[in-house]
Amino acid sequence: MKLNLYPPQQEENIYIRRQAQAWRRSGLITEEQLSAINGYADPQLRQTNLFFRILFFVFTLLCTGAVVGLFVWLLDFKDTSFVAVMLILFGAAFYMAAEYLAGKYLLYRHGVEEALVIVAMVLFCAGCGILLFENHVTLIQVKTVMPALFAMTAYWIYLRFGLLYAAAISIVALGVIPFQFNLSPATERLMLFFVLCVIFVFSLHVDQPDIEDFRKDKYAKMQACLLMAIYLTVNLEILGLVGLIMMNTHVVHLNPKLFPPSIYWSSYVLTFLIPAAAVYWGIRSRKRLIINVGIVLACVTLATNKSYLGWTRYAWDPAILGIVLVGLSLFITRWLNSGPDQKRFGFTARDILKPEEGGITPADVAAALTPGVIDAQQPQAGTQDQYFKGGSSGGGGVEGEF
Amino acid sequence: MNVSKLLRKLRYKKKLNSGQAELLLDLQERRIFSVHQELRFFLYIGILMIITGAGLTVKQYFVNLGDPAIISALTLCFTAAFIYCFVQGHPYERAEVASPNIAFDYILFFGCAFYSMDVAYIETQYHVLGDFWENYLLVSVALFFFLAYRFDNRLVLSLALSTLAAWFGFTLSAHRFYFENYYRLYAIAYALIVLCCGVLLYRLDVKKHFLDIYLNFAAHFLCIALVSGVAEYKILSLYFPALLLACAALAFYAVKVRKFLYMIYAVIYGYIGISIVIVDQIHRQTFLLFAYFIVTSILVIGLTFKLSQRFKEQR
Repeated sequence: MKLNLYPPQQEENIYIRRQAQAWRRSGLITEEQLSAINGYADPQLRQTNLFFRILFFVFTLLCTGAVVGLFVWLLDFKDTSFVAVMLILFGAAFYMAAEYLAGKYLLYRHGVEEALVIVAMVLFCAGCGILLFENHVTLIQVKTVMPALFAMTAYWIYLRFGLLYAAAISIVALGVIPFQFNLSPATERLMLFFVLCVIFVFSLHVDQPDIEDFRKDKYAKMQACLLMAIYLTVNLEILGLVGLIMMNTHVVHLNPKLFPPSIYWSSYVLTFLIPAAAVYWGIRSRKRLIINVGIVLACVTLATNKSYLGWTRYAWDPAILGIVLVGLSLFITRWLNSGPDQKRFGFTARDILKPEEGGITPADVAAALTPGVIDAQQPQAGTQDQYFKGGSSGGGGVEGEF
Repeated sequence: MNVSKLLRKLRYKKKLNSGQAELLLDLQERRIFSVHQELRFFLYIGILMIITGAGLTVKQYFVNLGDPAIISALTLCFTAAFIYCFVQGHPYERAEVASPNIAFDYILFFGCAFYSMDVAYIETQYHVLGDFWENYLLVSVALFFFLAYRFDNRLVLSLALSTLAAWFGFTLSAHRFYFENYYRLYAIAYALIVLCCGVLLYRLDVKKHFLDIYLNFAAHFLCIALVSGVAEYKILSLYFPALLLACAALAFYAVKVRKFLYMIYAVIYGYIGISIVIVDQIHRQTFLLFAYFIVTSILVIGLTFKLSQRFKEQR
């Protein structure tokens, strides 16, 4: 049974065009060569650029929300069950509209059909939730069934429309389920870890070398997200930092020292193993996203290491991590540049593929915020700052009271 | 057909020369793997963390370290960074100039941030300029503009524009986020000055690629100020027609240069402004309220669709 609305060759053609645009942007091919590639790879789907896609998405959400609101207001329902049924019907109608637009008008990542399926999912699940409540199902059952329902509908949307964020919603919804059974915190974490690992192994299983390029690209994104989710599940001290800031030492999630020592120290070891494995695997398989995620996770591990070991935190810790990052980046650049033809094992620091520019970049925004951060960090004359006294606080805060 | 097969086909049909095809195949099949963007990203994150760490250290330990140690360390850092940039940097050109190496842009940015920290520290501790302390920001703005243009650095230009905004009174402190009339007019003045500077330098052919940064700063400050004016005075002020004019100009510019980021700004800010005025008139009539949002959102979708078709954005 064919689940995806779009034939694989059409999606592959879109991938080919995207690659060709990157080559053109980087000056690797001419305009005529780009046209030739586009001629061979016609996806026969209607696409739009990112900015129009955002507009379509936002205003479709607004429109559908207003339609449902108007209907509920006009009919002035008193019966909650009837409202639930109406929500389910609206969900079905919006879903069919999305299918119709994608099938008849060949809309692909156009914003309109995406917003329709997302609204459809929310309305359908909300309607089912209200119906369950009305039928005297216990709260714990509703809290279990609702995430499962979200996970299933989002996964169906992923299968049908290929939207990666639908897959992400599905995984998040699935990840919520273990927390609904009043289990011990350690069991909750272990269950979540197990669920995520199963999905990760499944994604590795379907990611075969002979599949289409667009699928490889999609699976790499999914695997990167899953790796992050697994890491966040394993690293107990990330929430611990929140607990430290809030001075909350009673809630086990906010005070990881309350976990059994075996779990605590296993998680410590895993916070090193996961980033190392990700970087190694990313380099071996040349998956850019996996390498990047691995390095980011390694930085998080270094940032939480002192918390795990109970060592004192200092204000200069971020600077030391920064110096390590800068030093490593410069070392790798020099090492790659000094190789034959500025390459080593196929890796190069040369600027070959230029990224797409949309006017202003996140780097520009971060630079624009710097004066504000510097202003906030100025000490008041004659007063020694008390915020980090005792060295028990995190170094990432700027002004918050620890 | 996948990318590799298509590249081989194009080489066979002589639409790609063999050198090009080899390079593209190497890139596609990852025999060549550029990590340039990743290295830049981690360099930048590293520099930002150094700036944060240095700021926190000064904030926490300034009594223990003492003013001479802090001031001399910060001065040494930014002087070394600036000397490095002047020694290593390419000569000035009006057009875009590539950085001499991967770290160059970030070293200049690091120097500017440490300069800011140093000057702010001196001013906070010694009140050199007394009541006119905010004027040290203007000196920083001038220096950052000079360095941004001299070394073709977008990050330092962003720093310069946000420092100028700080001189106008806009900081990250929460109490300055209220758009009182006083700040609203300052925001409009700031936006117009930034816009004029950007357009003038663009017309003079000086670093034309910087125009987007000017326009982004100007568009947000102007539109937020005008929307806040519309929210306060509704239709009974010049803010509403000014907002419509600004949004029309943004939309016109977006269509003209095909940069649709500005179209988002125009549509979102314009829609918010118009909705504030209309909802103010009909907020007691629920049916009209829902109908307004349904009709206008369909209208926006339709118009955007027409526009995207017109520019062959759709395949």
